[in-house]
Amino acid sequence: MTSQDTGYEHLTPLFKEFASLPEDDPRRQQLRDELVTGHLPVALHIARRFIHRGEPQEDLEQVATVGLINAVDRFEPDRGTDFLSYAVPTITGEVRRHFRDQAWSMRVPRRLKDLHVSIGAAVSELSQRLGRAPRPTEIAAHLQCAVEEVLEGLEAATAYRSASLDEVLADGDTSGHTTADALGEADSALDQVEYRESVRPLLASLPERERTILLLRFFGNLTQTQIAQEVGISQMHVSRLLAQTLATLREQMTSD
Amino acid sequence: MVAPSGQQAEAENRTLVEVRIAASAAQISAVRVVAADLAARQDFDLDAVSDLRMAVDEVCATLVSLATNGTMLSCQFLVGVNSIEVLAKVTVPRPIQVPQNTFGWRVLSTLTDEVHAISHDRDEDAGGRPSVAIRLGLRRERTHG
Repeated sequence: MTSQDTGYEHLTPLFKEFASLPEDDPRRQQLRDELVTGHLPVALHIARRFIHRGEPQEDLEQVATVGLINAVDRFEPDRGTDFLSYAVPTITGEVRRHFRDQAWSMRVPRRLKDLHVSIGAAVSELSQRLGRAPRPTEIAAHLQCAVEEVLEGLEAATAYRSASLDEVLADGDTSGHTTADALGEADSALDQVEYRESVRPLLASLPERERTILLLRFFGNLTQTQIAQEVGISQMHVSRLLAQTLATLREQMTSD
Repeated sequence: MVAPSGQQAEAENRTLVEVRIAASAAQISAVRVVAADLAARQDFDLDAVSDLRMAVDEVCATLVSLATNGTMLSCQFLVGVNSIEVLAKVTVPRPIQVPQNTFGWRVLSTLTDEVHAISHDRDEDAGGRPSVAIRLGLRRERTHG
């Protein structure tokens, strides 16, 4: 691929400007957004290449987008290479790392892993259609399998560990403007309550996405399924992140 | 509302499941797994299953932090067709109220349809020692977010 016929060459001058601005220049954020959004099709294309390997599509797209953000941040236009030659391996590396880190924390039979994948797909499709999280019987009907199997598959899902993905995603804020609105409301709801612990600094120290999810759930009154749609990851992932974040906060509150 | 008992559970066609663990953070995962399994088997939607699992986690963590060293935490699940009620209890060194102006309590009230704390200065069931309990309820059909 050359920089002449990629369809992204109009973005090239922006990199020069981006690299020339000091860290605290407000124009930087705007350029960064523009560069990330402009190259998003590249990330999505790479994510699609990994679709049949058992990870939910939205999670793959998230990881690829994080790879893209990293590439935008680290790219040095003066080095003489074009952005795509730098970005494609960076994004692919990020997705591969996701797969490597996504280890089943205990031995789970192949059949259950496959089931986990089908359940994941069914959950996201049914959530769309129903406007809420599906019930086990609804998932079973959708997959034309026994409820017992779904229950087994859901149980296996809790053996699935995604902690490293969370670290990877920690600095990538991909929330759109509707999330920002909901977040504003959640924030003011938080302001109205006074707790015996000083919660604010703890919340502030959370990675942006964990903080967003936590605020939307506990102060914005959104369901996990609604949050999943807002943030663009699966409901199961939201569920895992929320539980982990609560555990982290609890630990910090008691250690003080 | 009264404390769940085997008889009452039968009368209302509800099932009683009780889990007892050493009141220690390391044992809580057992209760969490039971909670999630019961909710999924009652065909709660996945958000509710996960909410109950987190709520039970929070309740147990709160109670474990208050419990007398070396005692047990009992957690009873009263499982009905349309709701699950949970009553978790520990004995405590001296009479105490469960603080409700905490972030943890906010978490509990968001995750459940109902939550109460109950303190006994002298609990007959706990050999006359003081105890604290948290009761929570989750309905199968939920109206809020």
